[in-house]
Amino acid sequence: MFVRDYMTRHPVMVEPTMSIVEAQGIMAEAKVRHLPVIEKGKRLIGLITRQRMRIPPTELASLNVWEITRFLSNLTVKDVMVKQQDLVTIEPDATLEEAAQLMVQNRIGCLPVLEEGIVVGIITETDLLAQLSNLLGGNVPGVRFTMRVPDKIGEFAKITSAIASQGWGIYASGGVPAPKHPGYWDIVFKLRNVPKDDVVAVVKKIEGQELVEVRETV
Amino acid sequence: MTEDYHVQSPVLKLEDVAISYETRYGDVEAVRQVTFDVHRATTFGVVGESGCGKSTVAFGIVDFLGANGKIVGGSIKFQGRELVGRSQAELRKLRGDQIAMVYQDPMQALNPSVTIGDQLAEVLTTHRGISKAEAWEKSIDMLSRVYMPDAANVMNRYPHQISGGQQQRVVIAMALLNNPALLIMDEPTTALDVTVEAVVLDLIEDLKRDFDTAIVYITHDLGVVARVCNYVGVMYAGEMVETGPVEVIYGNPLHPYTQGLMRCVPKLGSTKESSILYPIRGRVPAPKDRPKGACIFAPRCDYATDRCRTEGPKLREIEPGHRARCFCSEEIEAAAWQPPEGLVPELAPSVEVEEKPLVEVRNLKTYYEQESKSLLSLVGLGEKLYVKAVDDVNLSVPAGKTLGIVGESGCGKSTLAKTIVGLESPTGGQAEFLGFDISEPVSERDLNLIQELQMVFQNPDSTMNPSYTVGQQIGRPLRRFKTAPPNQIHDKVVDLLNAVRLDGSYYRRLPRQLSGGEKQRVGIARAFASRPDLVLCDEPVSALDVSVQAAVLNLLMEIQREHGTTMMFIAHDLSVVRFFSDYVAVMYLGHIVESGPAEAIYAPPYHPYTEALLSAVPIPDPTAEQKHIRLEGTVPSALNPPSGCVFHTRCPRRDMLPDGGKICEMEVPPWRYNTEEHRIFCHIPLEDLRQMEPVVTTA
Amino acid sequence: MTVSEQTMPKAAPRPSRLRRLWEGISIIFASKVAVVGLIIVLFWVFAAIFAPLLTPYTPTEQDYVAQNEGPSGAHPLGTDDLGRDIWSRLIYGARVVLVILPIGEDFWIPGGTAIWGVILGLLVGSTLGLMGGYLGGWVDEVVMRLLDAMMAFPVILLYMIIIAAVGASATNVVLAIAIVGTPGIARLVRSLALDIRTRDYIRAAELRGENPWYIMFVEILPNARGPIMIDAMLRVGYAIFAMGTLGFLGLGLPPPSPDWGSMVAKGRQYILSGSPWAALWPSVAIASLVVGLNLFADGLREESLRYQ
Repeated sequence: MFVRDYMTRHPVMVEPTMSIVEAQGIMAEAKVRHLPVIEKGKRLIGLITRQRMRIPPTELASLNVWEITRFLSNLTVKDVMVKQQDLVTIEPDATLEEAAQLMVQNRIGCLPVLEEGIVVGIITETDLLAQLSNLLGGNVPGVRFTMRVPDKIGEFAKITSAIASQGWGIYASGGVPAPKHPGYWDIVFKLRNVPKDDVVAVVKKIEGQELVEVRETV
Repeated sequence: MTEDYHVQSPVLKLEDVAISYETRYGDVEAVRQVTFDVHRATTFGVVGESGCGKSTVAFGIVDFLGANGKIVGGSIKFQGRELVGRSQAELRKLRGDQIAMVYQDPMQALNPSVTIGDQLAEVLTTHRGISKAEAWEKSIDMLSRVYMPDAANVMNRYPHQISGGQQQRVVIAMALLNNPALLIMDEPTTALDVTVEAVVLDLIEDLKRDFDTAIVYITHDLGVVARVCNYVGVMYAGEMVETGPVEVIYGNPLHPYTQGLMRCVPKLGSTKESSILYPIRGRVPAPKDRPKGACIFAPRCDYATDRCRTEGPKLREIEPGHRARCFCSEEIEAAAWQPPEGLVPELAPSVEVEEKPLVEVRNLKTYYEQESKSLLSLVGLGEKLYVKAVDDVNLSVPAGKTLGIVGESGCGKSTLAKTIVGLESPTGGQAEFLGFDISEPVSERDLNLIQELQMVFQNPDSTMNPSYTVGQQIGRPLRRFKTAPPNQIHDKVVDLLNAVRLDGSYYRRLPRQLSGGEKQRVGIARAFASRPDLVLCDEPVSALDVSVQAAVLNLLMEIQREHGTTMMFIAHDLSVVRFFSDYVAVMYLGHIVESGPAEAIYAPPYHPYTEALLSAVPIPDPTAEQKHIRLEGTVPSALNPPSGCVFHTRCPRRDMLPDGGKICEMEVPPWRYNTEEHRIFCHIPLEDLRQMEPVVTTA
Repeated sequence: MTVSEQTMPKAAPRPSRLRRLWEGISIIFASKVAVVGLIIVLFWVFAAIFAPLLTPYTPTEQDYVAQNEGPSGAHPLGTDDLGRDIWSRLIYGARVVLVILPIGEDFWIPGGTAIWGVILGLLVGSTLGLMGGYLGGWVDEVVMRLLDAMMAFPVILLYMIIIAAVGASATNVVLAIAIVGTPGIARLVRSLALDIRTRDYIRAAELRGENPWYIMFVEILPNARGPIMIDAMLRVGYAIFAMGTLGFLGLGLPPPSPDWGSMVAKGRQYILSGSPWAALWPSVAIASLVVGLNLFADGLREESLRYQ
């Protein structure tokens, strides 16, 4: 799961000399919230977002109505963009987890994907969220259950062998440290085409582990 | 979560675009009310016949309209940005980085005096400012991605040193170097041979997947559209008349023009009886004759109502995602269509096969002497080099039947035709016609013999002398061969014109007043004027639009049946030959590799070359299954053909023989007779050949 | 076989003769350059035709009183050293060049030396060019060498040799123009023939067993007429210029014939002494006619290529 495969290639991009009004129009028309700013050869020099285009009121305080209009219409992308040195970017071969970490740490919603300084794509929080759902088998009918297991080697294998011994297949799975239960892990499984009660019966028998929840999803 | 959670806004959005050209007589509207969207990683095919304006639309997107073209209305939005009204400087920036174009003729984009490597690297050094060495590396990388064999070496060659198909791949590589969001391709494979075209089309499919590019693909070939496009827009006389996904357009066309097109496209894989071609009656209106307040197709439409003639329909959505510019689409039932009277000729019954064939050719060779460049040759001592255009060909044509000769460029089919007809002299072998020896050129033959052997040519623009009227040109053979007394010539000519479905009023027209199809018909009338026994047709319909092709082919069949003329029909289009011929011969590099009755050729057993040809032909049916056999390399030069079996350098079936087909390099193959009339020129034994599966299976 | 009207539409109606003529002419009017050229040429043609009506003098009428005078009421362009009216000499001089060709003492045919010279050159040159271009092989080699030999001579030198050899009469000038023009025309026609001979309708003619002369003159030549005509117009200009030069060198039509070139030669002596008129006006005449023809030909050529 690399950034390369989930990013949006050929993102909509703008030049620094474009006026903000036009950039806003493009955002609306193309239905995007982030526009990389490039110069010749698609070299990244900045990024504008919807937020950046809201001028803080303090800047306008001293202007009267006509001046405001002129000020706004003269503003170019270059004036409001996040400059490249302040931007966080990522490479196409990076993993999705790295992308997620960067987004969380820097509190940003999108990362331009660069190859040697050239924009090859853009990856946003929406992309990551979609993959989170896919990772756990969302949107597919089946049985979803969570096992709380101690943080030891071999616990995961117990569950998988139990499932395999029934001839069932695992559609998706993922694990995180159990919230509020240090020393334990919560592992989620998604199985398809099996009745929920059968799953519950098998899984409850596994030693040392707790079935936290189970549900049928549609 | 499914794949497309993104809000998909189109990469390219055209709305109500109108483009006009300035001419001496005022502004002429070439294109109007064109509306369509192209999304990323999809190919949108713009399909239509000549003069429909599809190229104009393509060039209009990037404003390459030349000095006298201009966009007079509508909007073109690229990634949300309006392109209409921008200055050339702004468009140039966009064109370099984000939009790329590939043309029909690769030499329009390639500089003949600069090496390929330099041209590719230049794209990167100019746009990205990287070093030449880096650009070189990236270029080699891109060349391998377009499946260019021996990429590193090709970088050092000049464009004329590589084949047409490879040139086109280089152009595509150049277009992709900057990773454009939109690629516009204007008939990129039209000038290529079928097997080369197949490889380039495969490439375009792969590119879509790897680069996520949105592609606008302009073509007139309905088979190509079925193969590479996801969505289709059909254009007629400057308007877009139907848009929708490709399966829907082919499976359930809603506009009468599209329905007509589907009926006149030859389809491979069907039997001869069920593949009658129905032409569309009438003629495409010239740009200045297009009515504004009426449906533009109404004069030719079988379902036209009064409303259609007084009101112009808009492009409206009839099914989800499927739009058509027609008032009556819901009421029309395409399956219930009956051809109007007189559209398709009633064919006289086919004649029985006689004992003696009309034309018999044995061991025919036509070699062209190559001008040798060595000093020795000046004194006549140098080694003579020959282009072996036709090499040891045997065939016979039964009287009253049609023999189709198929092959790609350079196979020698045109030379064979010219040798038989007398425009070239054979270098060896015998040829007999009606028992007479025809191995001398035309100038030596008897006038009576000349009269019986006539030809229909390929290019409608050069088949008629521009300085004389139609009547004069058809009348000339009548005068020369004294087929009719002088006072009856006018009436005879009018009869001939009627026979080719042209009104007598064409008598006094000059060729420049005629359309391509009409000129071709006059050419046919002229060829048949002297009632010849044998008519050779050299690709007579390749230069014509699909709907006109159907009419001309039907005409040829009609005339042939009525007069019992024998025909030799040369083509590169397997589907056309299938429909038209009783017997088929497949040629490769001067040799016939397979020949026999038409049904036998299209069903197994095949010669490996025939198999590859059949699997390369784009079929106008997106649901048909077709084998995917591709030939490596290029056609070897006829100056130095390969030893043994000439096809051995590219044969994909060599592994069917022991030792990887060593024998193919060393020995000339034998003729395998599948039936008495069907023979295959191959080392592979017949039982193995019979195991092959059919290439095309329709759903 | 049914022949229904539905499937056999009538051909688009042929525009009337008048309309086609108009369309042909309108090409000329579409090019301002061609119109200017045409005006100049027509000016001289009409001046030559209506010469007697446009001047009270004859070209040889001498007036010893008014020698070398400048433009005046009596003589709009002035007089030469023998008192002859320059304007009259100009327009009568135009006659021989453009309008009338005297053959022998009393006999003349319409056309003028320049025009007949070019026509004769066209006839011979076209034939040679067609033979070389269509027949090819050794015929082409022979023709090309012949043309090369002729073109090796500088044009004026060739003219001088011919005129010096056969004498300077109107018909001989025609001959000289034809000989000098032949190689250029032949080359042009040859290259046109080389192109046209690849067309399918020539193949069709060969397939009818037509003999080569038929193919050359009936099938090929009519399709080359566009470039040939434009070239011919330019050649008329060259011919006029050449005649001017010959006249200047003393090889023109014998006096007292009003040859423009010899007028310049005669008048040359008087330029520095304050009477340039005798030399000036003929020079202007030559230049204007040549430029006019060039403009006309160029304008036509550009216009016919414009909407390709």
